Amino acid sequence: MVSFDFTYHRPSSIEEAVQLFASLQRQGKTPIYYSGGTEIITLSRLNLVFADAVIDIKHIPECQSFDISQNQLVLGTALTLTAIEETNAFPLLAKAASEIADRTARNQITLGGNICGQIFYRETVLPLLLVDSDIVIAGKSGVQQRPIHEVFQQSIQLQPGEFLVQVKMNAAYLTMPHVHMKRRKQGKVGYPLVTVSALKKGNELRTAFSGVCPFPFRSPKVEEMLNARHLPIDARIDYALQQLPEPILDDIEGSAEYRLFVLKNTLWDILTELEEAER
Amino acid sequence: MIGKSVIRKEAWDKVTGRAKYTHDKLQQGMLHAHLVTSPYAHALIHEIHFEKALSVPGVRAVVTGKGLPLTGEDLRDRPPIAFDKVRYHGEVVAIVVADTPIQAEKGANLVQIVYEPLPTVGSPRAALQADAPLIHENLGSYEKNDHTYPEPNTNIAHRTKIRKGNMEKGWSESEVVIETSVAFSPSDHLAMETRCATAEIFPDGRIEITASTQSPFMIKKLISTYFGEDVGKVVVHTPLVGGGYGGKAPVQLELLAYLASKAVRGRKVSVWNTREQDMITSPVHIGMEATVKLGCTKDGMIKAAEILFLFDGGAYSDKAIDVTRAAAVDCTGPYRIENVWCDSLCIYTNHPYASPFRSFGHCEQAFAIERAMDILAEKLGMDKLELRLKNAILPGHTTPTRVLLNRSNVGNLPACIKRLRELIQWDQWQRIELNARTVRAKGVSCSWKTSTIDTEASSGAIVTFNPDGSVNLMSGVVEIGTGSKTVLAQILAGKLKMDIDDIHVKMDIDTQSTPEHWKTVASRGTFMGGRAVLNAAEDAIRQLKAIAACVLRSPIEDLEVGYGKVFVRDDPAIFIPIKDIAYGYKYPNGNAIGGQIIGRGNYTLRHLTPLDKETGAGKPGPEWTVCAHAVEIEFDKRDCTYQILKAVSVVDVGEVLNWKAAIGQIIGAMSMGLSFASRETFLFDRYERVLNPQIRTYQPIRFGEHPEYIADFIKTPQIDAPYGARGAGEHGLIGIPAALANALSIAAGVPLNKLPLFPEQIWRAQKGK
Repeated sequence: MVSFDFTYHRPSSIEEAVQLFASLQRQGKTPIYYSGGTEIITLSRLNLVFADAVIDIKHIPECQSFDISQNQLVLGTALTLTAIEETNAFPLLAKAASEIADRTARNQITLGGNICGQIFYRETVLPLLLVDSDIVIAGKSGVQQRPIHEVFQQSIQLQPGEFLVQVKMNAAYLTMPHVHMKRRKQGKVGYPLVTVSALKKGNELRTAFSGVCPFPFRSPKVEEMLNARHLPIDARIDYALQQLPEPILDDIEGSAEYRLFVLKNTLWDILTELEEAER
Repeated sequence: MIGKSVIRKEAWDKVTGRAKYTHDKLQQGMLHAHLVTSPYAHALIHEIHFEKALSVPGVRAVVTGKGLPLTGEDLRDRPPIAFDKVRYHGEVVAIVVADTPIQAEKGANLVQIVYEPLPTVGSPRAALQADAPLIHENLGSYEKNDHTYPEPNTNIAHRTKIRKGNMEKGWSESEVVIETSVAFSPSDHLAMETRCATAEIFPDGRIEITASTQSPFMIKKLISTYFGEDVGKVVVHTPLVGGGYGGKAPVQLELLAYLASKAVRGRKVSVWNTREQDMITSPVHIGMEATVKLGCTKDGMIKAAEILFLFDGGAYSDKAIDVTRAAAVDCTGPYRIENVWCDSLCIYTNHPYASPFRSFGHCEQAFAIERAMDILAEKLGMDKLELRLKNAILPGHTTPTRVLLNRSNVGNLPACIKRLRELIQWDQWQRIELNARTVRAKGVSCSWKTSTIDTEASSGAIVTFNPDGSVNLMSGVVEIGTGSKTVLAQILAGKLKMDIDDIHVKMDIDTQSTPEHWKTVASRGTFMGGRAVLNAAEDAIRQLKAIAACVLRSPIEDLEVGYGKVFVRDDPAIFIPIKDIAYGYKYPNGNAIGGQIIGRGNYTLRHLTPLDKETGAGKPGPEWTVCAHAVEIEFDKRDCTYQILKAVSVVDVGEVLNWKAAIGQIIGAMSMGLSFASRETFLFDRYERVLNPQIRTYQPIRFGEHPEYIADFIKTPQIDAPYGARGAGEHGLIGIPAALANALSIAAGVPLNKLPLFPEQIWRAQKGK
């Protein structure tokens, strides 16, 4: 049960949402932007989230946008993971989304919520990192578009009162060869031991990881090693694993040494799959 | 009627969402409790401050454990609310009662408790170390029943000993000997409905409890025993129950609801577990460490078994004592072994305390024995089913507690094995390599179970008639989702030779008007409840015939009851419809005789005895159901991951009373066994706190992850059971964890003796870690 009271607000425009946030804050409240709400609901009943005002951004038209043109795909952050999966405009993202939580939850979880979540797996970020996407952010100073690599470092870097409106990406990426592999402790639903997304842009292999460290990441050093094509695959993997940004996770999903074992095999599978496709 | 797949009586209410469970029965003016629980697994309680909680608007009372009697079914070791010290993570330390659940929770968050953490005990073997912290310092002074044997100044709550035959002789005749150890941690039942109860105390002293429970009649007795209330003044109501699996056999929240109501001058109080609390505060599935040593001749005849079960009963013994005794009773598995030594210990640890889990100590026991059987077969170089067949227990043999088996009280294990062998095409292949990485394997196991319940446990039934000749059936068996009440209606319909639709089943239990059924546990609903129903039907038939004899001017012994009539046996044209005599008979001139027909019946299991303290000799249960199981898996040798392709159970059920209900029970039980064996466990930190009391991180098997299930039956009637039917609610589960471990051990080429079988566990076993 959620043991605190909160007011619920449903703005219909970006400006209204931003102003609401500011005015609620001025009233001394602790507002929070609300989209699918799965994390807010489940964590607040454990007293791990607190807010006395929620601002539901699902009804802002820009947050629901789904536009695909020759050059660009625009996805509203209030699109549900189910919608991302079913429209399948970006197959790699669709695959990543389809492996998160379970269907009932995916009907509710939104793209923006997954990117901004406290639960650190945030696996929809992986494809977005690979395609150098841009993030449209609304805040006090208006709406601005910024590269994901700038605003997402381990977690989303937002100023108070800012929220995610859209994600944009170059349409050329959508059809590039890709693989997404999620390996769990057991079964077909649940958090990852490791999740790896990979995309090939020409000869360049890009990879992004979740579950390996307590944040999703894409690392130029890791990619450099994985792209050292003059070396055999296992050597490339070994070198790449020496470049991880932090020691590998050790928690109830799996021990660090086992995760490492799984990660090696996953990378092996990804490299073989993408490189075999070349032939 | 018998064997037909009658749709369960409560089906329409359930599928339309109209069925009501305990927590659905909210009432205006009802108060709500929130439990304050311990963040430590072992700690002294120095101070409890609840003034701030009391200042929250709506908070009516805070109840603490001061001055409360100790509770526990076999051994009174548990304060209903912890006092002085806490012994497990999640233990109840205080109850906050308020007008709304939110207010109660707010109050609970403000209760401040000063703890002093103590060293913890994290496993049965650790608990037995000479320098292990004592969890119950006063073990020697606890009240207990006559057949519980705690060992003061240790962490042993109870020890069951089985001493059969001559071990020296057994080992001397053994040419091949193996020894193996297995282990698993406590886990949970995860019933869909979390445990909950309400209590209200009326000015005349009447105590009305509504509870999601398998033991309404036990609640009544225990509240009387523990708190000195008149047993007749305690009335327990139990509506439909959303899954029990043994987790709702113990009495816990009902006591808290009673105490909470008492603290607010008898107002109605609801105590309801959140999922997280239900997982660790309320009793859990027991953990175990075990060592099995088996000896046999070169041709595979088992001569000796030495078995040590170290059960992780958790912080309090409660029902765990009984579970560990049940494991001892059937310790050898369904095999003829003349020389048996077994010690089964109920051990205290700082884990959540244990309760029964579907199969009551048997899937645990079977995991140890059936792993050992596979290892023995491997050492002998013998076919795994052949070894089991060769040693299969048969009429004429004796059980570990020396019960002589006959053609009625034990099922036909060789027939189960034979059928299993066909169903899984055992003789075609047992392990095949599909490619360099993928291997398929089949694992098998056998199991058996009797029901160790109180020797005087009884069941009662009442049948009353309606003016149209239809019948009402009241039995104390709780509808916990097994369809038992429908099966009882089938038994009654069969006996009265009437349409099942004309039998109206009273679903809810009210201990004041429903005749007692001891507890809805141990797969005994159909047998005991069924016998009581048959007796009640006989009683009603006698009464119907007595009235009909007057009306039809016929000797009673010439009459038959059936098809809505009482008729003369050799001339059915002479009859009277039951509806004309169901409320007595009115003559044309207005005179009347008789009255409403009310049939009553009861049944008590006969000839049961407690076990001898030193040898275990005794008759613990009425009959043994036997089973054979198999699991087929596909294993990835590189990743150590696997898919469960198929699970099979062949159960000798005696007779199938409701085909689909029986199949459903067996398949449901198999899925629970696979889930337990493949992924369910509590994970503890080094202070023995549970790290995953959430379905987010404690993941049972899900829809879409199920293998193909095959359930099949052998029918060796139990002569004195209704229509020969044996217990079947639990048996599909018993050998499944072992069969999965056997299949994976064969596939991975390494003995896998720890559950659950996460791929990481297999990877570790292969690495020798």
